[in-house]
Amino acid sequence: MVDFANLHSRARSGFAMAMTLDTPLLQQAEQTAAPASSGRLRRFVRPALGLLLPVGLALGWEIAVRLGWSNGRLVPPPSRVSAEFAELARSGELWRHVVATCLRVAVGFGLGTVVGTLLGAAAGYSTLLRRLIDPSLQGMRAVPSIAWIPLFILWLGIFETSKVALIAVGVFFPIYLGVMGAVMSVDRKIVEVGRTFRLSGPAMIRRILLPAVLPAYVIALRSGLGLGWMFVIAAEFMGASEGLGYLLIDGQQLGKPTEIVAAILAFAVLGKTTDWIVASAAAPFLRWEDRARGAEG
Amino acid sequence: MLILDRVGKTYPNGVHALDRFSADIRLGEIVAIIGGSGCGKSTLLRAVAGLDRATAGSIVLDDIKITAPHEKIGIIFQEPRLLPWLSVADNIGFGLMGLPTELRREKVARALKRVGLTDKADAWPRELSGGQAQRVAIARALVPQPEVLLLDEPFSALDAFTRRDLQDHLLDLWADTRPTLVLVTHDVDEAVVLADRVIVMRPRPGRKFEEIVINLARPRDRNSPLFDNFKRRVLTALDRSLDRSVPDADAKSTAGEAMWW
Repeated sequence: MVDFANLHSRARSGFAMAMTLDTPLLQQAEQTAAPASSGRLRRFVRPALGLLLPVGLALGWEIAVRLGWSNGRLVPPPSRVSAEFAELARSGELWRHVVATCLRVAVGFGLGTVVGTLLGAAAGYSTLLRRLIDPSLQGMRAVPSIAWIPLFILWLGIFETSKVALIAVGVFFPIYLGVMGAVMSVDRKIVEVGRTFRLSGPAMIRRILLPAVLPAYVIALRSGLGLGWMFVIAAEFMGASEGLGYLLIDGQQLGKPTEIVAAILAFAVLGKTTDWIVASAAAPFLRWEDRARGAEG
Repeated sequence: MLILDRVGKTYPNGVHALDRFSADIRLGEIVAIIGGSGCGKSTLLRAVAGLDRATAGSIVLDDIKITAPHEKIGIIFQEPRLLPWLSVADNIGFGLMGLPTELRREKVARALKRVGLTDKADAWPRELSGGQAQRVAIARALVPQPEVLLLDEPFSALDAFTRRDLQDHLLDLWADTRPTLVLVTHDVDEAVVLADRVIVMRPRPGRKFEEIVINLARPRDRNSPLFDNFKRRVLTALDRSLDRSVPDADAKSTAGEAMWW
């Protein structure tokens, strides 16, 4: 039941995960293809491989528009998008929207993480508590989170609180599930080592349980963060005067595809950057992991 | 002195795993417990370790009744059970957290040297071979200087050469502080090479079947006729414990590693 549910949530956050999982696959392919080439060259070539496809497509489209094969009105070429970007950045608009969106994600992600971690750990640790709360939470999880929007607006108003609440709900579930699963699957044999050395309850948590669940926790945080970015758009669609989601709606209503593409690009950059921050903040604590694939960026 | 008095264990599901097992084990004695599967060897060891509670009888170490893990009792499992997020040195020092850092470092360094893994101090457990990992586990259990060290089939997952090597190494380490060793095994060779006394168990419910005192001087020559003689006695007892007719003695004992599954 839990595993299946987990899969489901992974699938929902597949958009966010795909971005992070692609790179090592490519690296792996590269590694087997050219084992003997010089190390320094490879360090530059490997990331460049990932850029090949998007840069190639962008260049191709730019050329197509320049040659007049398309007017590029609905699908703006890179030059126009970057001009739009520059204009938004120059006028300070871009920062206003980015800051608004980031703040919402940060507060929502923080709330969802705290509650998800506490409830997930409690439900994983105590069978009684799991029997009490898990079925209800799983039931709530089956509700598409967007469905909460009308209720949240009625309860919390149309301003920041309802938006943050929606993001927090979206972040909560993958983290709750991830933490609960991780705590439940801590190896009994390792726990026995702690018991043999007579660790007290807090010492057992600090020295055995926390390090044991950390790898799964980082994955849960990353999928939670991915969902946070997804839900911030939904939240901003439901009525906002600033934020990247507002920029999207604005671009649609005023017929400005360049603005839409610029906002989408901003989302991609922000999502990838925050995911990278979480992953690399955790990396020093996970060096011990016995992984089939090498460390990922 | 470790006194086991009519220790019994019935699991909640009704399985009667161990029935009235009694033994008095002197300080510094090495006792091997051997038997087929399902004869309660591991159940007994886990009860002595305080990891599980016996449902009958008592386990007393120096007038202390054992019902939970005790600082005088260490245990080594079949798997090394190293903590993968700690370096080799930190794994060895895991049981020494109450000590000041300097003293702990010193003890860990000495233990590392003693098991010949000084150069691996900063390695992760995943970088060790099976034999090295088990040596770290032995060091981790011995560093707090337990009075009783329990070993639950500690070398059964290793290849024959590594196993022999570690058996000798264990005796060597044992000679340092001479703790009591209680060793559960299914390897007749291992029991005879290590133990002062071999206790043969019989299954369903697990109980003591026979005791064989191995009064051979150490170091023991695995190829001597006397050694072979003891091995044959243990094998015969094992066969009888399983209600089997005694097979040809050489059919099993000529194989260097008489494994008992």
